[in-house]
Amino acid sequence: MLKLAIRNLLHDRGRFLISASGIALAIVLILVMRGIFAGSEEHAVAYVRNQPAALWLMQSGVENMHMSTSILAPQTVELAAQVEGVDAVVGLLYAGGAVDLAGQPAYSYIFAVDADAPFGGPWELAEGRRALEFDEVIVDADLAARYGLGLGDTVRIFETDLRIAGLSRGTFGIATSITFVNKQQLAQWMGVPPEAASYILIRPEAGYLVGDLAERLKQAIPDANLLTQEEFIQSDKQMIRQMGADIIRAMNLVAYTVGMLVIGLTIYTATLERAREFAVLKAIGATSGRLLGVVFAQAFVSTLLGGLLGAALAWVLGQVIGGVLPEMLVLLEPDYLLAQIPVVLAVTGLAALIPTGRILRLDPMTVFRE
Amino acid sequence: MEALLELNLVTKVYGAGRTEVRAVDGVDLRVDPGEIVLIMGPSGSGKTTLLSMAGLLLSPTDGDVVLGGRRINGHSGSELAALRLRQIGFVFQAYNLLGALTARENVEVVMNMAGRKGTAARRRAEELLGTLGLAHRLDHKPADLSGGEKQRVAIARALANDAPLILADEPTGNLDSKTGREVMDLLCGKLRCEQGRGIVIVSHDHRLVEIADRVMWLEDGKLSQRDKAAPLNA
Repeated sequence: MLKLAIRNLLHDRGRFLISASGIALAIVLILVMRGIFAGSEEHAVAYVRNQPAALWLMQSGVENMHMSTSILAPQTVELAAQVEGVDAVVGLLYAGGAVDLAGQPAYSYIFAVDADAPFGGPWELAEGRRALEFDEVIVDADLAARYGLGLGDTVRIFETDLRIAGLSRGTFGIATSITFVNKQQLAQWMGVPPEAASYILIRPEAGYLVGDLAERLKQAIPDANLLTQEEFIQSDKQMIRQMGADIIRAMNLVAYTVGMLVIGLTIYTATLERAREFAVLKAIGATSGRLLGVVFAQAFVSTLLGGLLGAALAWVLGQVIGGVLPEMLVLLEPDYLLAQIPVVLAVTGLAALIPTGRILRLDPMTVFRE
Repeated sequence: MEALLELNLVTKVYGAGRTEVRAVDGVDLRVDPGEIVLIMGPSGSGKTTLLSMAGLLLSPTDGDVVLGGRRINGHSGSELAALRLRQIGFVFQAYNLLGALTARENVEVVMNMAGRKGTAARRRAEELLGTLGLAHRLDHKPADLSGGEKQRVAIARALANDAPLILADEPTGNLDSKTGREVMDLLCGKLRCEQGRGIVIVSHDHRLVEIADRVMWLEDGKLSQRDKAAPLNA
């Protein structure tokens, strides 16, 4: 019967292609939407991920960088540096704000570390330098290029003109970009001493276990919150995911509904067109179960092909989008892809149910009519 | 000798009250192995209804259908399907082949349903089609076959599971006289004489009288036997 199902599908290649394309479209929609969201999540944690800091210290009660405010006193930075096993600490100031590029405001995460900090600045520099004077700034190279800006040009942040001294890479996301300024400048905007920090980035000495060092830091600085780099990343991702979960769910619902209707309608149409052949099979001895098997096999074969086509198209689309729009990272996660398989199979099964009533009601006596 | 098929006082009534129609009315019929029974009659006389009840596609309102000595009563849909699959071969006027399958696959499909699969089914299909003169058309789809070829594929399909009873509905109805004659020869020779099957043919084609052992006339739901030599249009 599987052979018959496949032959039936291939017999009308046009309809089979339409059916598989419809399913592929739904899969593309689901994967690309999720991919864009996952990409934006990844962009949002890009700064934390790209710093060589295994531990992150922040104000007590704070667990995120986004949608949070954290301020640690200058003494806390000094205290952290003195803990045994710490190789380097960097006091990071962080604020969110609009960067005015050639009259166009773009929301940005604004980071600042001391000019001589061993890390904490841009992890990839396309042009210019890392160490910034008071009135200098590093902006993303793609973002600057979009507004026709380059080294030496001026951007405006918090009513202050800043000269572009460096252009970074990997710091332009769909929702925000990352901008680096001088630490004294950011401290002044925030109204805090320049020795203070929003977060303290801690690099352990070689050979020190992160867990052991974390214990020591917690004992030394009990009134702050300490997270590993991965915990901090996951905490931020989780928060962003919660913010976008409803949107993703709605998009998936739309995509799956479209996919189910496409599968259901094409299989229903195919069944109607072949009603006489199904009646013949019934007359010559096929049970209803066997006929339903053909219908379900057609649906699942269409879904298999459509699913593979959709996954391939989503990957290609992700590459194209990433090439044309550098701020839009389409991240196709294998785990998410695998998690969709049972959902797609369930949707296909539901869609295949649509024509089953027709099959069960088929009158085999129609075979005697010409 | 046990009859292949017996219809005992079989009646089929459609509708009720003023709209009641007795399509088949108290029909008795017996078909023995090796026998060809031709049922003729005007349009609307109940031939298709009678054939459908004989083929277990329709339940009679009254009376008994006995197939291979087994009274058909209270069988489930799947049990009836299994009986049709193994006990009855159908030949239709419109051939009713599956358009997506080749000639060989059309024959294989009923064997597959009966549990015979793979090489065994393939060889049997090739053998049957070869016997019917279609060895060179095995991999052709119905759309590429002539009417006569399609009917021969349908006959091969009807024979595939070695069903002892063949029910043929206007088997020559869509064929020209030469091809019709070939199909008649097949029904007469291959099916009956060589393999001893019982055949029930429902048809308007007077030429089939030549090969029939018995000719029955169905009119207004009543079945009567006719002399083969008598004119049939009365």
